[in-house]
Amino acid sequence: MKFRPLACATVLTSVMALTACGGGSSDGDDGPVTLDVWLMRDSVSQEFEEEFVTAFEDAHPDIDVNVQIQEWNGIGERVTAALASNDAPDVIEVGNTQVAQYAASGGVTDLTDRVADLGGEDWLPGLAEPGAVDGRQYGIPYYAANRVVIYRTDLFEAAGVDPAELTTRDAWLAATERLNEPEGQQGIYLPGQNWYALSGFIWDEGGDLAVETDGGWEGALDTPEALAGMEFYQRLQALGEGPRDSDEAEPPQVEVFAGGEVAQIIAVPGGANLAVERNPELEGRIGFFPIPGKTPDTPGAVFTGGSDLIIPAASHDPEAAFTFVEELTGDRWQQELSRAMSYVPNKTTLADEVADDPGVAAMAVGAANGRATPNTPEWAAVEAENPIKDYMTAVLTGSDPAGAAREASEVITRALNP
Amino acid sequence: MQATGRRAGRATPPDPPSVPEAPPAGAGSPAPAGRPPRGSGWWPYLLIAPTVLGTAALLVVPLLRGVLISLQDFELRQLINGDAEFVGLDNYATLLGDARFWEVVRRTFLFMAINVVAIMVLSTLVALLVERLGRFGRTMVLSGLVLAWGMPVIAATTVFQWMFHSEYGVVNWTLTSLGFESFDRYPWFANGPAAFAIVVFLVVWQSIPFAAITLYAGLTTVPKELHEAARLDGASAWQAFRTITYPMLRPIFLLVLCLEVIWTFRAFVQIWVITQGGPGDATTILPVYAVQTALSAQRYDLGSAASMITVLLMSTVLVIYFRQLYRQEAEQ
Repeated sequence: MKFRPLACATVLTSVMALTACGGGSSDGDDGPVTLDVWLMRDSVSQEFEEEFVTAFEDAHPDIDVNVQIQEWNGIGERVTAALASNDAPDVIEVGNTQVAQYAASGGVTDLTDRVADLGGEDWLPGLAEPGAVDGRQYGIPYYAANRVVIYRTDLFEAAGVDPAELTTRDAWLAATERLNEPEGQQGIYLPGQNWYALSGFIWDEGGDLAVETDGGWEGALDTPEALAGMEFYQRLQALGEGPRDSDEAEPPQVEVFAGGEVAQIIAVPGGANLAVERNPELEGRIGFFPIPGKTPDTPGAVFTGGSDLIIPAASHDPEAAFTFVEELTGDRWQQELSRAMSYVPNKTTLADEVADDPGVAAMAVGAANGRATPNTPEWAAVEAENPIKDYMTAVLTGSDPAGAAREASEVITRALNP
Repeated sequence: MQATGRRAGRATPPDPPSVPEAPPAGAGSPAPAGRPPRGSGWWPYLLIAPTVLGTAALLVVPLLRGVLISLQDFELRQLINGDAEFVGLDNYATLLGDARFWEVVRRTFLFMAINVVAIMVLSTLVALLVERLGRFGRTMVLSGLVLAWGMPVIAATTVFQWMFHSEYGVVNWTLTSLGFESFDRYPWFANGPAAFAIVVFLVVWQSIPFAAITLYAGLTTVPKELHEAARLDGASAWQAFRTITYPMLRPIFLLVLCLEVIWTFRAFVQIWVITQGGPGDATTILPVYAVQTALSAQRYDLGSAASMITVLLMSTVLVIYFRQLYRQEAEQ
């Protein structure tokens, strides 16, 4: 009975013990060092991973690379435990909304002096800025991606819809309604808790998730602008069978798209490859267009997603780790990666390389109107608790939007001002 | 699984006499010569050492560490760099001054009360039922109870999650088939009271087997003659229960009650797997609150303080139990 209260300590120690088992870097000076690298699920395809690791090990015979793919679910606690342990991985991929809190924690190697070697002057601001705290650079930009609409060309043709004309929300809603039949076909599969998509709609209206005031941060889901964004989400969500109480990961929306008659999903373009991997029949039947905005001349605002690479201070071989980061974020492999995964490369100068990829082209249109989550290290705490998801489900299942929004805003305010 | 394992371990106390006691150094029978006198030398200490060391390492050390953290300013930075400063009782002051914390405490007691009442009433009824069943029925019901008891907590929780799934859940399917159209794709876990009720349902379902079997074991020790005599005197079933069964089984009722209080007080796994304390705060009880605060918001100090308060509250329950127990012993 005295067990439960120890949860925090025990959970942490056991997580540390587990990660320690997976470690085992640099045993002695002779022989190659082993570099433990944590990459996130679906951030690279298996094919790319093998290609890169083989090439890297050939070029650096003194380094063995051991890549471990991590799940997004619960990643914050695992990274925290890893940073606090004595046997941390040597390189960790961290989502750009989460990197600030780790950088601020002091457990990450300061790479400010190496920024010039890495060509840092050309980095995408949406990746470089969250990786820096007080002018010191901790996170190294890895890749960026923002959401677009992935659609089935055959279903669009059958319904007589031309995606090039879907440049406003109204046209998009009308077309999606037409695509939402016959029976069994979904106009759009939009799960109830895709808060990234909602954020875009809120930004379109001129609202935000939270705003900074004199007294600190304040949740802003209950502003008229934010409520208008949610109203649009609700109308769009109704034009398909998306579950109102789960997010895009549960069930994986790419699988739903691959497995059924779904005309559209909102996802990063890389999702198309994953869908084809699961259902080869979709090859050549998938297209992309930017999320429509309120008027034809502004595309819909999108959340600029992406990842940074960090080197934990506890890394056994920071030099080897740096070599790895340097290669993976360098021009050659960035070009390969963005082509293989339809990502935006980490440097503005590389953008032309992938301009011919239709997914990336659609992404680039939206990226012009790219936005970020509120810029505070505490934002990670909001994501961990995620009141926005509860709020969305509440509205979609018939609660009063204003009341639910006020409640969610209060939770955000509390989490941002600990 | 842990809970189940521990329950099994706890099941022994009700029958202390069964513990193999020292061979009576009976009057007149002299102890065989050559055997060393019991209880001396270092053997007993050596034999108990692994247990003591294990307990110390797994319970005492983390507990002390928890106390320490709750007195420090301990966040992500301190976790990684290890330079925490002592702040006295500041964390406790912050916590006790937080209206949300009191809301959680209130909810914890409500959760516990509903669960314990439901568990006690239902398992007493099940125990009485089993006692009255024939051989076949009794075997079936007892097997069912043991199977339910043996089900790993995570597995049972996952099954409940599926049953109440909004799209593919069997509950919604059944209700819609029966004509309740409003349950078409009804999201149970998005509705606060519904989610709370499901968690209570799950915890009660998981707790009944232990309580029912223990109470049934107790019932078998009540002499049949007493009931016969009562029936001859014209006592109703309820009167017989109130005047014969309950008084005789009071120690067992009290034991089961206390254990259930403790177990439901710290029901964590079920809630964490199903709702993580949501929607909103609807299913956030103290252990969930502590983990949320420590691991999600990375206020390890506040989380530890909340845990220490939980320990204090549970210890209070234990003290009440022991006082009752000793008073009873004194009466006898």
